[in-house]
Amino acid sequence: MPEWLRRGLLRFGESVLSLVIGLLVGAIVVYVSGYDPVEAYRSLFEMSFLDIYGLSTSLSAAAPIMLTGITFAVGVRAGLFNIGAEGQLYIGALGAVLVAWIARNWVPALDSPLGTVAAYALGVILAVGLALIAALLKVKRGVHEVVSTIMLNWIAFWVVEYFRVYIVYNPEDPSKTVSVPEQARLPLLMAHSELSLAIIVSIAFTLLTYFLLWHTVEGYELRAAGLNPLAARYAGIKPEKAVILSFLIGGIAAGLAGAGEVLGKPPNYSITTGLSNLYGLGFDGITVALIGANHPIGIIFAAFFVGGLKAGARYMQIFAGIPLEMVRIVEGVIIIALAIPGVFHMLSEYLRRRKELRELQARGE
Amino acid sequence: MNKTILVASIVIIIIVAGVAVYFATRPEEEKTVTPTEQTTTTQTTEHHAVEHATESTTMQHAEEMPAEEASQQLPARELGGRNKICVVYDIGGRGDLSFNDMAYLGASKAAKDFGLDLVEVQSTSESDYLPNLRTLARSGKCAVIVAVGFLMTDAVKQVADEHPDQLFAIIDGYIEGKPNVLSVLFKEHEGSALAGALAGMLAHYYGCKAVGVVLGMEIPVLYKFEAGYYWGIRYGEKIYEQHTGQQVEPLKIFFTYTGTFNDPAKGKQATEAQLAQGACIVYNVAGATGLGIFEAVEEAAKREGKDMGPPFAIGVDADQDWIKPGFIIASMMKRVDVGVYTAVKRALDYYNGKVDQYGGVLELGLAEGGVALSKLEDLETFLNMAVEAGTIKPEQKQEIYEKVKAMREQIPDWIWEEAYKLGDTLKTNKDIEVYGLKFSDIEKMIPLDSKEIKEIRDKLKVG
Repeated sequence: MPEWLRRGLLRFGESVLSLVIGLLVGAIVVYVSGYDPVEAYRSLFEMSFLDIYGLSTSLSAAAPIMLTGITFAVGVRAGLFNIGAEGQLYIGALGAVLVAWIARNWVPALDSPLGTVAAYALGVILAVGLALIAALLKVKRGVHEVVSTIMLNWIAFWVVEYFRVYIVYNPEDPSKTVSVPEQARLPLLMAHSELSLAIIVSIAFTLLTYFLLWHTVEGYELRAAGLNPLAARYAGIKPEKAVILSFLIGGIAAGLAGAGEVLGKPPNYSITTGLSNLYGLGFDGITVALIGANHPIGIIFAAFFVGGLKAGARYMQIFAGIPLEMVRIVEGVIIIALAIPGVFHMLSEYLRRRKELRELQARGE
Repeated sequence: MNKTILVASIVIIIIVAGVAVYFATRPEEEKTVTPTEQTTTTQTTEHHAVEHATESTTMQHAEEMPAEEASQQLPARELGGRNKICVVYDIGGRGDLSFNDMAYLGASKAAKDFGLDLVEVQSTSESDYLPNLRTLARSGKCAVIVAVGFLMTDAVKQVADEHPDQLFAIIDGYIEGKPNVLSVLFKEHEGSALAGALAGMLAHYYGCKAVGVVLGMEIPVLYKFEAGYYWGIRYGEKIYEQHTGQQVEPLKIFFTYTGTFNDPAKGKQATEAQLAQGACIVYNVAGATGLGIFEAVEEAAKREGKDMGPPFAIGVDADQDWIKPGFIIASMMKRVDVGVYTAVKRALDYYNGKVDQYGGVLELGLAEGGVALSKLEDLETFLNMAVEAGTIKPEQKQEIYEKVKAMREQIPDWIWEEAYKLGDTLKTNKDIEVYGLKFSDIEKMIPLDSKEIKEIRDKLKVG
């Protein structure tokens, strides 16, 4: 059996085992609280994955978190803990809205697929800009990326809120920003659903990341620097370059996710009050990356599963009569169980690297 | 190493077997319940015919049966399995002690009264509205789907078009021209007039020079609050003169738009500015921003060593009198519960053939119990709600109640009576004139735009 298949199967087995444990614990919680666990899971999985409309909803929920999962995963591959996807996603969405705003006020020609491209482009540029701030702080000043990205997330939040309230607001309904003009919206893949072309963009970019990381020199260097920066430097690889590249890819992914949410989510096609249609999508990406073992292919499936869980919250409420708070507990339990192997691997990897570094330093490196 | 692969494969086999067992054992009927694409399309194409058919059969049944029996039995049968009241909350969700909790109150009462089940769906994000509504509509089990809050307007519009056979109601949102959508709106200007009258009389009673209102975002709905409030203040002053027989100097009226519904800090700041200029009653028309108004008022009173107003705030939407007991003189209640209940009732009336048309705009004012100035009796309901939500402890209930009662008693009865009397008067006679402006004139101008509200402000000498 080839090594990659063996490892893949192993990770898959781990995930399935965790899922079973998570489901069991969740079932106990539901049962103890006086609800029917069988009914709960039936409504969750049957609607999320077996019903055609439910499936489309799961997929549309998967689209943004697949990309923010990539942001986190590429960070981990480069030895970083990049949690800036949240803020970069906000800014990416703002980029798309800015194009919509420009189209509305000055350039009607953007009410076309040209506008879609422009919106994606501006969203990505802005998000990458934000990501590069954290990257440069890391490379030039040694600022830890956790600190800088958390702070940048809040800066992004309030910048976008400012724009939403004072500049790009919709005069007819000030609770949200202007909407993307009709011709510039991403086409729906299924009538009467929320599933738009954004999912294709997500999958395509995820596959592209896979190619970048595993089939190019830069990708190899990025992963090597992540595994052991000192050894990489010894081998002539610049770890700084890997940091910048990983933030760059992460920024593009988050920017695509944010712009995609605005361009491809009916009925608003805008940013709504308190960024409530964007909030949390970046952090969901961390979950997705952990479940997907920080591997693009794993992330595709993990995003689909987490998207299904997110969409499933409504089915558990509607068909099993379980209140939202309880649904969140159950989903939380399942997600934690699924993420445990990922966390475990990441932690042991981190400890191993630190130990190696210590040993190297002890030897007078 | 091989051991792990073995474990993994065993686990996979268990899963596959589990799934197989699940499918083998799941009840057959579930299959028909799960809506498929096919049924949806046939539903849509046949909708007009179906609608007419239900209507006519309902009528026939109503004729055949004695009226009383019909009203009891018909819904379940004629609704064709639509035995649920489905409520979708916006992102605010339950536990806000206001809008959403009141919607629940109305829906659960309707469920009990009409023998229907209640299905509640909370939205975790703005993107949830559409799929929540769609899933409910597709389930075909909802007698009516109630969307609570104007934020869902776009989503309701879209789903209502996709499911013409499903009845919808939207609270506080305005959707026109759809036979299957009922827009439930409130006559906030009527309730605000009572709040204004109370403020006008109280201000003179305590001898202050000004009253104020702090508002959220500048949207047309809030103009209705403004206009009613200003008119009420001038009316209150007139009554005060009549009652006491003395000439009073007209109050200054301040208004501040904070631009937000969820920033208590801004509400506090705006209120402090108004209090500094001599206002002693401040009306909250700002959602959660208003929590800052209450704080500012309480602090101002406490600085003077008082544990009760003046200055006072006036609450909004829910009966907020308990939030800062002793400092919120009364609340302009917007009875979302009444709105939801009425919408459900109308849907059932439609199925029963009692009304021929469902969609349209339903405006609830003083006469319909849609808006009201809070009374001591209302406090009980909302205290219970707060206890249930865990905001106050059960043992605090009595204490709060006593304090609010004491606050109300320090004001002469005639002021309260006059304020509530205006409520009764406006139900029948809207031609009362103050400063050359009849209440009916204001009503005629609704929906108000920014030019019209300026005109009203000028006439009533505001600002």
